[in-house]
Amino acid sequence: MNPLVLVVIAWLAAACSDPHGIVLWHSYQGDERIALESAAQVWNKAHPDQPLDLVMVPYDAFGDKLSSAIPRGNGPDLFIYPQDRIGDWADSKVIEPIEFWVDDARAERFTPDSFSAMAYRGSLWGLPMAVKSLALYYRSDLMPVAPKTTDEMIAIVPAMKAKHGYALAYANVDLYGHAAWLHGFGGRVMDDAGNLTIATPAAANAMTFAAQLVQTGAAPNDAQAPLVTSLFNEGRAAMVMSGPWFRADIRAGVPWHVAELPIISATGKPAAPFRTAEALLMSARAKDKDAAFAVMDFMSGDESAAIRAKRAHQVVPNPAAYDDPEVAKDEALATFRNQLVHTVPLPTSPTMRVVWTPYRTALGEVLAGRAEPGERLLAVEREVKDYIKR
Amino acid sequence: MSGLLQRQLRDFAVAAGLAVVIASVAFVAARNHDVIDRQLALAERSVAALAADGEVLPTVHGALIGPAISSPKHPELRHRNLRDHGAWRLLAGGDPLHPDDKLFYDAAAHFDREHQPFVELLRDGSGRAMAATAHGSGPAAETAVAITEPASPAGYPLLVMIGVLGLGGALSAAGALVGGRGARVGAFVGAFAGIAVLAIPALLWQSWFAALVIVVVAGVTAMLQRAGLTNKLAHGLVRDRVAVSFLAPAGLSMLALVAAPFLLGIGLGFYDHHQGTWSFVGLHNFIEILSGNGRALDDPLNFWFILGVTVLWTMCNVLLHVTIGVALALLLSRKWLRGKGIFRMLLILPWAIPNYITALMWHGMFDGQYGAVNSILHGLGMDGVSWFTSWTAAFSANVITNTWLGFPFMMVVALGALETIPKELYEAAAVDGATPWQRFRHITLPHLRPALGPAVALGSIWTFNMFNVIFLVSGGKPGDSTNILVTDAYRWAFERGDRYGMAAAYGTIIFLILLLWNVFGARIVRSKGDDDS
Repeated sequence: MNPLVLVVIAWLAAACSDPHGIVLWHSYQGDERIALESAAQVWNKAHPDQPLDLVMVPYDAFGDKLSSAIPRGNGPDLFIYPQDRIGDWADSKVIEPIEFWVDDARAERFTPDSFSAMAYRGSLWGLPMAVKSLALYYRSDLMPVAPKTTDEMIAIVPAMKAKHGYALAYANVDLYGHAAWLHGFGGRVMDDAGNLTIATPAAANAMTFAAQLVQTGAAPNDAQAPLVTSLFNEGRAAMVMSGPWFRADIRAGVPWHVAELPIISATGKPAAPFRTAEALLMSARAKDKDAAFAVMDFMSGDESAAIRAKRAHQVVPNPAAYDDPEVAKDEALATFRNQLVHTVPLPTSPTMRVVWTPYRTALGEVLAGRAEPGERLLAVEREVKDYIKR
Repeated sequence: MSGLLQRQLRDFAVAAGLAVVIASVAFVAARNHDVIDRQLALAERSVAALAADGEVLPTVHGALIGPAISSPKHPELRHRNLRDHGAWRLLAGGDPLHPDDKLFYDAAAHFDREHQPFVELLRDGSGRAMAATAHGSGPAAETAVAITEPASPAGYPLLVMIGVLGLGGALSAAGALVGGRGARVGAFVGAFAGIAVLAIPALLWQSWFAALVIVVVAGVTAMLQRAGLTNKLAHGLVRDRVAVSFLAPAGLSMLALVAAPFLLGIGLGFYDHHQGTWSFVGLHNFIEILSGNGRALDDPLNFWFILGVTVLWTMCNVLLHVTIGVALALLLSRKWLRGKGIFRMLLILPWAIPNYITALMWHGMFDGQYGAVNSILHGLGMDGVSWFTSWTAAFSANVITNTWLGFPFMMVVALGALETIPKELYEAAAVDGATPWQRFRHITLPHLRPALGPAVALGSIWTFNMFNVIFLVSGGKPGDSTNILVTDAYRWAFERGDRYGMAAAYGTIIFLILLLWNVFGARIVRSKGDDDS
C-alpha cells in the first residue's frame, strides 16, 4: 500500500480514537510544573487503567480557551486556575459543582479560608491546590532588617537614590500589586455582598500613597515583572513586593529574605494583598465525572501537596503537608503562610473580571500624575457598572 | 431532443443534490427541535405531577429531594436526602446507589440557587431533560426533580426524499420533452418545477427558510440554464478539469476558513452573549457602538474617538512606509552603490521577522528605565521619554514600530517598479536638461504609481487592522487612548464581560469601513492612472 495512504489512515485512526484517562490543563512552569508532574506520576503508577494526562497551556490564553472550548464539549476534564473566575464559570455552566462528592473528612484536609474560597452561591466548585499572596522580599545587603512600617520602608529611599536605585519595586500599575495598599488603607474593590466599593476615600488615599512612592523616587512607575526582577538582582531595588513564584527568578548569590508586608504608617493597619487560592476545577463536560473527581481528590490531597511544597515551594492549603520536616524548615514558605493572616480574598464575583482593566488604566494615569485619584476612581466605578448593567 | 433532455437531467442532478443537502439540514434541525421540545415538556409535566404528589411515567426518573442540611463544621458542604419509593436515603458520592444521584443533587442545588422552577436539557449530549420545582413550602420544603430517559429521534425520511426526487426528475424531464414553439418555456418551467418540488419536505417540517432557499436555487438554476450558462459551466469544468482539481482544495479551504467564519461573525453581531447564553438583540450592538454609548467625543471608549485614532494611525503609517520605502528603493537602484544584495537583505529583515516578535522587542526598547531608545537619548545628552504616559509619545512609539515593520514591503514594490522604467526616458530627459527633481517628478513617480496604488491599498488595510503592534507596544496606554478599532473589539470580547456580540459588531463595522475605503481608494488610484495615461 502507498506509504502516504498508511500515514493518512494512521493519522485518522489517532484523530478519531477517544483518549482514555483524565486530561488536566494547567499553566504551571518551572518547578511547579515538575512538582505537578511528579504528583501525577504517583497517580499514574497506582492507576494505569485511568492515567492522568497533564497538558501545559500558557496562562495568557488559558481562561479564554476554557470559556470557549468547554461549552462546545471540548477542553480538559480538569484544570487548575485561580479562584477568581469561579463565579463567572459557575454562572456560565463551564464548571461542575462538586459538593456531592465532598464530605467533612475531605474538607478538613484544607485550611478553612482556602476551602471556603471554592464556594459560590451555595455550592462548592473546586478543591484548593495552593494559596498565593504577595509578601516582601528584601536584600539583606541593602536592608539588614525588614521594615515593620511603611515609614521605615521609605527611610531607605535616600540611600537607594544615591545608588540610582529604588526602595521598593512592584507591579504598581496593576490592581493585584496595588491591592496591598488599597486594603491597608481600608479600601475594598467590593464588599462581602458583591457591591462595588471602588470609589471611596480610603481607595483614593491608597492611590495617593502609591503615586507618592513613584513621585518621591521610592518606587519605579509601571514596573513589570522583568524590570522588578532585574532591579532586585542588580541591587537597584532593596525590596520587592511579589509572590512565591518570584524566588525562582532571584539570581544565585543574591542575599534575600522574605518578610510580611509592613504596617501602613498612616493608618496603623497592615498592608493586605489579595489572597488567591488556585483551584482544581472540573469541566461541566468531563467525560467520566466520578473518575475525574478521584483524580481531583488525589491531586489536592496531602501526599500531592507535600510533593508540591517540597519541590516547588508552593504554599499548599493542606496543614498536614507542613509536618514534613523538609517543608517545615522552609523559612520563606513559613513567611508566606503567616502573611495569609493579613490578606483579603480575591472576590469570586463575575464582576471582578471587568474591574482589572479600568483599574489598571486609572492607576497608570494617577501614578503618572495626570489624574486625581478620587475623580478617577469614580470614573472606574462608572465604567465597571456600565459593563455589568445588562 | 436527447441532448436537451440530457442537459435538463444534468442540471437537475446538480441542483437537486444541493436541495437535498438543504432539506436534510432542515430535517435534522426540525427533528432536534422537536425532540428537545418533547423532552422538556415531558420533564416539566412529570415534575408538576411529582409536586402534586402524583406519579410519573416509567420512562421518567422522578424523586423528591429534602432540604439542604449544612455541615456544622463546613457550612459550604450541604447534605441532601432523596425520597425514592417512600424511603429516604443520603445523596452522596463515593458509592452512589443510582447513576442519576449526582443529577438529583445538582438539580436541587440549582433550584436552591435560583429560587425558581427550571427545566433544561442536560449538557452531556444524551438528549435527556431535567426539571425541578418546589414541593411544599417553608424551610422544610422539598424539591421535586424529574429526569427523562435519552431521546429517540425519528429516522431519516428516506422514502419521502426518494419520492420527491423521482417526482422532480419526472417534471424536469417532462419539461425537456415539450416540443415545438413551447420548447424553451417548457424546459424553463420543467427545470424550475423539478427542483422546486424538493421544497415540499422542508415545508412539511415547517422549515420556511430552507424551503425558500430551495425555491431560489430552482429559480437561479432555471435562469442560468435558459441563458446557456449551465452548459458553458459544464463544458468549462470538463475542459479545465485539471485546473479545477488543483483549485478545488484551496477553494474549499477558503470556504471553510474564510467565508464561513466571516458570515458567522456578521451574524453574531446581532446577538448578545451573557454568561454562556446568546440572545438576539437586532441592531442594538451597532447602535451602542455608533452612538458612542453616551460617552463624550474625547472619551477613549467612544467609537468615534477610536475611529479617529485608527484613521490617523493608518495615515501616518502609510505615509511613512511609502516615503521611506521609495527613498530606500531609489537609493538601492543607484548604479554606484556597492553591496546592494547585502543592503537589500538587511532592509527586508524587519519584514521577515514575525511582527509580534518585533513588537515585543520594540516594547522593551521603549522601556523608560532600561529601554535602548532612552539609553541612546541619554547618550546624546537628552532626557529620556516616558513613552507610555502621554498620548503623543505612546502613539509615536506605535508608529515607529509599525514603520519599522512596514517600509520593507513598500521598498520591495518600489524596487520592482523602478526596474520596469525604460532607461531611455532618463537619457532623453537628461538630453533635454531636466533636473533630478524633474526626472523624479515626471518620470519616476508616474511609473511608480500603478505599482504603489494597490500596495498602498493593501498596506492601509493591514495597518488599519494591525492588532499586534498596538496590543503589544502601547497596549492602549495611556488610558486606552491609543487603542484602534481592532484592539478595542478584542477588549469587548475578552476584558469587558465576554461581549462577543459587541466584538463581532465591531468586526462588521471595520469590514464596512475597509470595504468603502477600498472601493473609493481603488477608484482614486484608477482615476489617477487614467489621468497619467
